[in-house]
Amino acid sequence: MRVFQLDSYVLLLSGKDSLQFIDGLSTNKVEGTCTTVFTKANAKIIDMVEVICVGDNVAIVGHNSFKQDLLEHLNSRILQQDVLLRDISDFNNVFISLDRYPDTKNVTNVETFRGWILVVPKSIPMESTIDEAEFNEHRIQNILPHQGYEITTSNHPFNCGLDHLVHESKGCYVGQEILTRMRSRNNTGKSLILVEGKPEDATTTGKTHSLAIRRN
Amino acid sequence: MDCGTCDTAPAIEVIKPEVVDVNLTITEKAIDMLTEAFGDDRSHALLVGVLSGGCSGYMYDLQIVETTDIDCQEIEISGFRVLVPNASSHLLDGIEVDYVDRLMGGGFKINNPNASSSCGCGESFA
Repeated sequence: MRVFQLDSYVLLLSGKDSLQFIDGLSTNKVEGTCTTVFTKANAKIIDMVEVICVGDNVAIVGHNSFKQDLLEHLNSRILQQDVLLRDISDFNNVFISLDRYPDTKNVTNVETFRGWILVVPKSIPMESTIDEAEFNEHRIQNILPHQGYEITTSNHPFNCGLDHLVHESKGCYVGQEILTRMRSRNNTGKSLILVEGKPEDATTTGKTHSLAIRRN
Repeated sequence: MDCGTCDTAPAIEVIKPEVVDVNLTITEKAIDMLTEAFGDDRSHALLVGVLSGGCSGYMYDLQIVETTDIDCQEIEISGFRVLVPNASSHLLDGIEVDYVDRLMGGGFKINNPNASSSCGCGESFA
């Protein structure tokens, strides 16, 4: 089983407006467990997150380096909505499994386009079985973006292979006007591609191939 | 996921701007439309709130309600009860509720001096 530990935070939202709150601020249609992207008004990424329904609560799993920006983005927008935010990162580790991971007691296991995201209580011992280089090789072969490499605050979702997370017909959200205009004009700019070797503009380099964000 | 500890995890402190006494006006056209909507029944109130979302980050929320669990301040304008949630009072002070009569994009419209930008449909602002 190829499992790699991610540098992730886990936020827990409780309250009846939690899903609607996430839906109103992110690119995908959020009606349950899914992957979505929070963007700024200029459509640049704040973070890509896994939204995981856990009983009456909703967990958001994102990348640690983007946590503060996302918290600021969310925090100022909880007004009269019934949403309570908790940071449960200290209690859980987050892994990605590149192979189907069996159901395991107390391990939250969600299939995503990148692999199986596992949210594991720290009381359950688990370690990576592959290193970052192996994880990156897998990403390169499958053209999968990752936070800090392709998914950065200077890119918008179309740039870095997250087109499928920008819902085509959902209503307004922050950044929607720009993304919709780009899509409707068929002008989504640069995109994530597989390239040979290790070019200077590579965002992730592997043994024989790399990922790069280039103009079409 | 460790949810045994979720309930004991401290809630992240939400930025709560100061509650302000909202000054709100309603245009004559909007009053006419409210009169049409409410009829003679004044037991209900117009709730003017703000939700997160929309192209610009905040979205107006207009509802006709009898009561609400939301902590609100109540204003009376031309015999109508207007409720403004305290949580969004800082975003709504000085607004004008208008009614625009046109085939596309018509309806109640809010002119907000606190908005630095708003989206094309006028439903959201920043």
